[in-house]
Amino acid sequence: MIAAKHILGTFDEALGALRNNVLMMAGLTERSLERAMKGLFDRNDDLCATTIADDEEIDQLEKQIDKDGVDILLRFQPVASDLRRVVSAMKLSSNLERMADQATTIARRARKLNRHPPLPEVDLIRPMYDHAMSMFKDSIDAFVREDVDLGCAVVTRDEKLDELNHDASRKLIERMAQDPDQLRGYLNLIFVGRCLERVGDHATNIAEDAVYAAAAQDIRHPSLTATT
Amino acid sequence: MTTPERGVMERVEQPTETPSNGEPAPALTFQAKNVSIWYGEKRAIDNVTLDVASKAVTAIIGPSGCGKSTFLRALNRMHELTPKTRMEGTVLLHGEDLYSGTVDPAIVRRRVGMIFQKSNPFPTMTIGENVIVGLRLNGVRNQKFLNERLEKSLRMAALWDEVKDDLHKPGTSLSGGQQQRLCIARALAVEPEVILMDEPCSALDPIATAKIEELIYELKARYTIVTVTHNMQQAGRISDYTAFFYLGRLIEFGPTTKIFTNPTEKQTEDYITGRFG
Repeated sequence: MIAAKHILGTFDEALGALRNNVLMMAGLTERSLERAMKGLFDRNDDLCATTIADDEEIDQLEKQIDKDGVDILLRFQPVASDLRRVVSAMKLSSNLERMADQATTIARRARKLNRHPPLPEVDLIRPMYDHAMSMFKDSIDAFVREDVDLGCAVVTRDEKLDELNHDASRKLIERMAQDPDQLRGYLNLIFVGRCLERVGDHATNIAEDAVYAAAAQDIRHPSLTATT
Repeated sequence: MTTPERGVMERVEQPTETPSNGEPAPALTFQAKNVSIWYGEKRAIDNVTLDVASKAVTAIIGPSGCGKSTFLRALNRMHELTPKTRMEGTVLLHGEDLYSGTVDPAIVRRRVGMIFQKSNPFPTMTIGENVIVGLRLNGVRNQKFLNERLEKSLRMAALWDEVKDDLHKPGTSLSGGQQQRLCIARALAVEPEVILMDEPCSALDPIATAKIEELIYELKARYTIVTVTHNMQQAGRISDYTAFFYLGRLIEFGPTTKIFTNPTEKQTEDYITGRFG
């Protein structure tokens, strides 16, 4: 959505490279979350191990994006929509890195669960997973397309994810009381649910940054008076 | 036992002034209304209406030939020095029409000082003489008063400590940055109400530029400053308000933070982001 060409071709190249790295990082993060959850649902330790191993690449991309962003700020001193795009890209990378950390945590919890007989209660996590991934994908779409409406819509969906997590946690705690032998397993599922709830929080942050990049609107903390 | 560590909040510097969330309308120094200016047949300024806030820095930006220097000069009638100039509209200084038939342009230029792109100390005068020449031309002869005004002006221009022992040396013996500050001291000596600056740093190195920028920041506590600049980063750093001119028209005017983060007009966005034309 970067309209006219900059008078400095090198600026367009630098900004394009920054955005590409953010999209690459988003793609890897999405893949890690999918692999971690598939590792959980299919009881596949290999997928869990791959997720954990891939985290390093995502960490490296975060550092690269920060370096490239600082480099652009230093060399070109962008303003207006250019400045917002650079700042948002850097904030996105931070959120993506934390999402990938959640994927790693899920993979570790899944490996622990896979050592024991399967728990049917794992299905309580599926609606949360679907909802969190849908928020994540839409938040990235909002950033790529600079779609303010989609960004705002993602933010409103976080509440539903919190409710799903609350419901799943309540049911799992009930199961703990009924079946104390599986307490560790239920606890691991609660932690997986919490990870997905945080994925939703990061997707919300990304959607908010996407709205800022596109329209210079700060939609965070709506109860506070706008300062821009 | 060592001294107990301070809490985190205790390390936070407290602001000296409570920031105001409300935004009361600023007091105005200039009110330009429907100003148009022609050089012969060529229209340089096209129906510009712009209010200049008091004790604030207003930056005028725009591509070469957009009329920003012409507009600046219209604020102290200096554009009239160019032959075949014609103007329409009004410019009020503190509510008084600068172009009223009873107003002496020389008085206007004393009230509204101007700093130019290239520093222009009088080459035959010493540093001291350069500063007080305006007062002398206005008939001030009291040497004690002149000495006091000389020191005060040089101090305000952040030059006193560098030249106090060399006041007898030629003004042109100073470096480019010092010469520019000398010109600022010369403008301040007649105690103007407003200082206009036409690309005051464009011929200076980064250190001299930084000194002028700091000076501008300090001077705005006492003076209204309007500056023309081609340097977008400088406009962002030093100004409170920014006006974007294009082809003689005022395209957008507003708080600098707004103009440089979220301009309303596409032409402004294209210009400041380097996508013009």
